[in-house]
Amino acid sequence: MFPWVYGFEWSPGYLIFLGVFYTVALVVAGAMVFAVWRSFRTVQRGAAGEVMWHAAFEDLTPAERACRHAVMGELPGRVCDNGFDCRGCRMHLRLLYAGGPDGAYGVPEAVEICGLRLPLDRYYHRGHTWVRHEEDGSLVVGLDELGRRLAGEPGAVEMPPAGMALRVNEPAFRVRRNGVEARILSPVDGTVLGPAEGEGLIRVRPAEGFSTVHLLRGGEVKAWMQHELERLQLALSAACGAASLADGGAVPEDLGRRLGGREYDTACGLAFLDV
Amino acid sequence: MVERLDEAWIARGLRRAPFHRFLLWLAPWAAMLVLGAWAIFLCLRDGLFHTNMDNRYVFGLWIFLDLTVIALGAGAFFTGFLLYVMRKTELRAVINSAVVLGLVCYSGAVLILAVDVGQPLRAWFTFYHPNVHSMLAEVTFCITCYLTVLLIEYVPVLLRNRKLKAKPSMLVLEWNLHKVMVVFALIGTLLSFFHQGSLGGLFGVLRGRPFAFREGLLIWPSTFFLFVLSAMAAGPSFVALTTWLAEKAARRRLVRDEVYQTLGRVSGWLLLAYVFLKSLDTLLWINRTAPERGFPAHRFYEYGGAFGTWVLFAEIALLGLVPAALLLKPEWRARRGVMIAAAAMACLGVTLNRFIFTIQTLALPTMPFDRLLLYWPSWQEFAAFGFVVAYGVLLYSFSYRYLTLFPQERELAMAEARR
Repeated sequence: MFPWVYGFEWSPGYLIFLGVFYTVALVVAGAMVFAVWRSFRTVQRGAAGEVMWHAAFEDLTPAERACRHAVMGELPGRVCDNGFDCRGCRMHLRLLYAGGPDGAYGVPEAVEICGLRLPLDRYYHRGHTWVRHEEDGSLVVGLDELGRRLAGEPGAVEMPPAGMALRVNEPAFRVRRNGVEARILSPVDGTVLGPAEGEGLIRVRPAEGFSTVHLLRGGEVKAWMQHELERLQLALSAACGAASLADGGAVPEDLGRRLGGREYDTACGLAFLDV
Repeated sequence: MVERLDEAWIARGLRRAPFHRFLLWLAPWAAMLVLGAWAIFLCLRDGLFHTNMDNRYVFGLWIFLDLTVIALGAGAFFTGFLLYVMRKTELRAVINSAVVLGLVCYSGAVLILAVDVGQPLRAWFTFYHPNVHSMLAEVTFCITCYLTVLLIEYVPVLLRNRKLKAKPSMLVLEWNLHKVMVVFALIGTLLSFFHQGSLGGLFGVLRGRPFAFREGLLIWPSTFFLFVLSAMAAGPSFVALTTWLAEKAARRRLVRDEVYQTLGRVSGWLLLAYVFLKSLDTLLWINRTAPERGFPAHRFYEYGGAFGTWVLFAEIALLGLVPAALLLKPEWRARRGVMIAAAAMACLGVTLNRFIFTIQTLALPTMPFDRLLLYWPSWQEFAAFGFVVAYGVLLYSFSYRYLTLFPQERELAMAEARR
């Protein structure tokens, strides 16, 4: 195996055989070291959350990755390949400037679907959180009605500490209930200022260049929630049999109490995009 | 309590059998594993006299089944090659399953080889003092390296487990391993090509056994290339067959139809190429190679029974040409029953080929005073191989339950629920 080992010969046969073997061993070891080193660097520079989201996004089915414009019926069948981050999506920007999604943000109205009331004075994230501008320039982030009914009592949601930097699609909150744990994604880039009063969960100072392009608004909200309820119902039926999300056409106030352990786990994971 | 723990390891949105039913499924395999472990212990402690192999029958059940599982395990490298190099992206749906199958096949083969060779504490001698002129040295090095590659390929599948991926560092490692997976796919292809070939080559160079001896190209006898090609042809069929069996066991669809179609089509074309080359090789062997060695080919089939001419017919026509035709005609391939029957026939064909080269080669006389030698394995040989089968079923069952072997499963279940 080595020149100093008994039996080794400086012959073409030995050199070719061992040369190929050492090359293979080096390539395999090199690729492994490269992967481990890149992982170490990724964790060190705090980009693990981004990778986690991309991995989770990959695990979603094509139907779950439906583009917001597909949900609205503008581009039927289109699947998002940007990780629900429309800020870099040319198609979305083109449609936005062409008068695509209804920009009715700020209208203090609400839509209601299956007993879920969704005010339109805020932006919605596809992981069931919302963002609202406050007069002092800060943002309030909270769970939408479906998210709130899944999380149940406020104590079940673990808040990020003040001063923590949030990034879009990276974990911000954590739900712990009925032995189930799920992370909830941040809808915005910014820094946590502290808990919010009223219906929100936290107040956030937006990051420089803050944008809401990736968030749902106005006329999109109802179509999206309808799509979400259908998706969750299908997923629940597929994973747990006959479990039903809505009771008599309305989603119950406390879903955590209504659904069994496995159903609740499935519903939480799928709603918060934590499959 | 145990059920809750079990559920916490199962991916969200996937339906799995209740834990107690899973335990019932595991029980017979676990018993088989224990019996096999006892047989392996006996062989390692006392030596090979526990087996029915002897100086004439140096290759028995173990080597025959080793060659078979390695050929079927080619489904792993070849699926990886098709996916990462040939960009057959639809095969992403079965790549994880193929990796587990490959790992089971290769680790099982290495284990049985270790028992067969014996003296495991001196296994390192093979690597430290290699005889590079021996095909077996190449086989040993390639199988060990490829097993390492398969273990590395299994790591990302493992790290996608629900509990493990909750740890950011694990998921990041999995993500980055995926980025370099094409390197492992290429290395796996290279290693598989050479050791599949060398396994065939080591029969083709047996000058003292005209039944196996073949002419070839440069230093490689024709069996080198035929073993590679037959493994490449049977591998996708084996992946399709195991996927179908998993679907039957799970009672739900796990992959889309297009996956079966791609696997069947690839397998069909390769099988056709193999049958063509194998026929040419056989004609050459009958008309030139064997007579030149002093044996007219018909002499090898005089003994009838398990070693009659029907074996040749079954290997080339019944389990080669017929499944190739079934897999190549789109209308037939589209019928799941036909497709799976053809895949099973292709796998049986490669199994018969390995049987012929290991068992029939050694059974046939080579000297005028020799006679046909028959061999029946001891219970220890059966049990030791049963260990590998049980280990394979257990590893696959655990992987199916707790990992995502079929990424399309959830999507198909939702489509089913929509209906």
